[in-house]
Amino acid sequence: MSGRLVLAAALGAIVLAPLAASTYHVLLMLPFMAYAVALLGLNLLFGYTGLVSFGHALFLGIGAYTGAVLTSVCGVRSMEVILVAAGALGALVAAPVGALCVRYVKIYFGMLTLAFGMVFYTFVLKFYRLTGGDEGMPFLRPALLGWSLERMPKTDYLVGPYYYYSLAVLVLATLAMWRVVGSPFGLCLKTVRDNPTKAETLGIGVARYRWYAFVISAVYAAVGGALLGPPTGNVDPTLAYWTQSGNIVFMTLLGGFASFFGPILGAFVFIYLQDWVMSVVPFWRLVFGAILASIVIVAPGGLAGLWERRAVEREASRA
Amino acid sequence: MRTTRRSFLRLASTGAAVATVRLDGPPARAQAGGPVKVGVLTIRAGIAAPVGAAGLRGTEWWVDRVNRAGGILGRTVQLVVEEESNPKDTVERYRKLVLQDKVQAVLGGISTGVTLALGPVAEDLATPWLSWDGTTQKGVEETMPHPTWAFKSVDNEVEAIVAGMLTAKYFKGIKTVAGIGNDYSYGHDCWESYKAVLKKYAPDVRFVLELFPKLGVTDFTSHIAAIQQSKADLLMCSFWSGDATIIMKQATAVGLFKTMKGVFTTAGGVHDSLKKEFTPEGLLLGYNTMYFDDPKGSALLKQFVREYKARHGEYPPYECDHAYFCAESYKAAVEKAAAQSGKWPEKAAVARALEGIEVESLSGRRSWREDHVQMCAFYQGITTHRNPYDFATISPVEVVSTKVAMKPAGTKLFDWINSWKVSRG
Repeated sequence: MSGRLVLAAALGAIVLAPLAASTYHVLLMLPFMAYAVALLGLNLLFGYTGLVSFGHALFLGIGAYTGAVLTSVCGVRSMEVILVAAGALGALVAAPVGALCVRYVKIYFGMLTLAFGMVFYTFVLKFYRLTGGDEGMPFLRPALLGWSLERMPKTDYLVGPYYYYSLAVLVLATLAMWRVVGSPFGLCLKTVRDNPTKAETLGIGVARYRWYAFVISAVYAAVGGALLGPPTGNVDPTLAYWTQSGNIVFMTLLGGFASFFGPILGAFVFIYLQDWVMSVVPFWRLVFGAILASIVIVAPGGLAGLWERRAVEREASRA
Repeated sequence: MRTTRRSFLRLASTGAAVATVRLDGPPARAQAGGPVKVGVLTIRAGIAAPVGAAGLRGTEWWVDRVNRAGGILGRTVQLVVEEESNPKDTVERYRKLVLQDKVQAVLGGISTGVTLALGPVAEDLATPWLSWDGTTQKGVEETMPHPTWAFKSVDNEVEAIVAGMLTAKYFKGIKTVAGIGNDYSYGHDCWESYKAVLKKYAPDVRFVLELFPKLGVTDFTSHIAAIQQSKADLLMCSFWSGDATIIMKQATAVGLFKTMKGVFTTAGGVHDSLKKEFTPEGLLLGYNTMYFDDPKGSALLKQFVREYKARHGEYPPYECDHAYFCAESYKAAVEKAAAQSGKWPEKAAVARALEGIEVESLSGRRSWREDHVQMCAFYQGITTHRNPYDFATISPVEVVSTKVAMKPAGTKLFDWINSWKVSRG
């Protein structure tokens, strides 16, 4: 089956899920779609630019807290305003943070991003009166495209309008990122990843392009973070903790950072596998970790890499 | 008609089944249906895992006891256990219990950071949720004053309020107080509540130091040095996990309690780790809502402590009682609602029946207040080594009801404390 057919089938399944799947499994699709948006951005930095960030929970947190502050403090309920504000704030914070971080690569870049992530985590934990500290802040139900939908039961709201709204955001974010990675700008990023010295010789400002990638990835992560808020109804510092950063890096590895859709697949498998293992085994972290480690060992290019490898082998056997 | 061996056996087994139905049992229509599924949310990893384990053990003991006695209205109870972790994941587990596992009620919830998110979800999913230890308080003020489905724990700061009252009783004449608590809302709220209460009883007392180390810190050397330096008459500590044991060890090693009184509002949660070798006599120690060695304890408590020790090799902490109460009150509410309708009650009828219901729990009579907050008693006392254990216990045992130590429904905490008329005899 060609990639386009698989993609169309997957999109069709996601569109039809609220009609066919159980309410609970439809609800689980909401964090999947939010993480998928964030991972599209993270993979621009990781897969296309060659920089592994261990602090992107910082931007997830910024997005989620932006929504919480706007809805519960400022009285702004428009999801469109929340998404724009989250993206703008993500870019605003990413600009100086990225300017500092992209001067380094490899583990130094990773550690710096981790440090900035933990600074933000400490900020939301410590500034209790501003952020609610460990108790977090409520993220009140946002209006979608001007419809308040306040009277609708929360679950109906989530599996209906909010589900399709999140899907629309994911599709738009995917199309935009598809254009970005396929553009001359995307090719420049790949050159920076593969051979920064050559890129510099060709006149590509390596640090500048890394910074662009960092800021764009932060905008995506912040938008993803804003989408994470309404299903829980409360945002708290654990959204910005380093384990969140670790999870999204792992989702990318699991799905395959070399593939455009790999991280999205990784998010899907991660969320549903975790859900299943959590219910079956009390010490699920041990089992979950072992399963994920096995997948990465068996398929170093991630699940998408495994699928692509098999497709190549099939082509070769046919030839 | 010829009776075959098979038809005879069928007839005999039917007869045996009919014969085993007790004449005083619940009505037959109430027995319809399979086991009643009850969801449990409990912490299984991290610093609060022992608290979660104790709650789950208390619930499992209740299930064994209820099922041995024939279940609830003839239906056995089946637990579906999920993990409480961060708010996002716990909300997802909660939805799974209700939407996927179709439980009749959800028990559990320990961290208020998590239960603040669970409260609105419980209201949305229209299933009774009985929280063990988590509230829907933001700081010390209620965020859900009129819930329908959410039944919340005792206000977090009650142990600090009780400790403030008992500090005034047992440590008369103290002039200066130092405080240490974890750097999150519970630690800060306990300290503020304790200060407000103690000021009512001893207006001249001065609070000379406050320290808030991060939750999970295990080296208190610098904190203890600062406490010594403060030369306070008394140290108030609201640690509730293994850090209470660690600071006790480290403080005793430098002789802190030779010059200073000590108040540990919540360390009773790790009571059997407070060994005599490093836990001095004469400290005020809080056991929250259940004291395992209560000399006036009921037969139920004594049986529970005996069986818990035999099964788990340790003495039960208070979380068992929160969990037992939630489960037992659910059972009582189902029976009360069924008595009115004559059939297995709808969830809404159970939620209504829970309001104001009072049952016998491990620690004595406990009830749900009209605003769905637990009412119970708090146990605190002065540490003693005169016991058969290798750890400190308390004597005398002070029992303070939430009727006097918890803000009434609809009031603000500090307005309520400020309204107290206190005799300073």
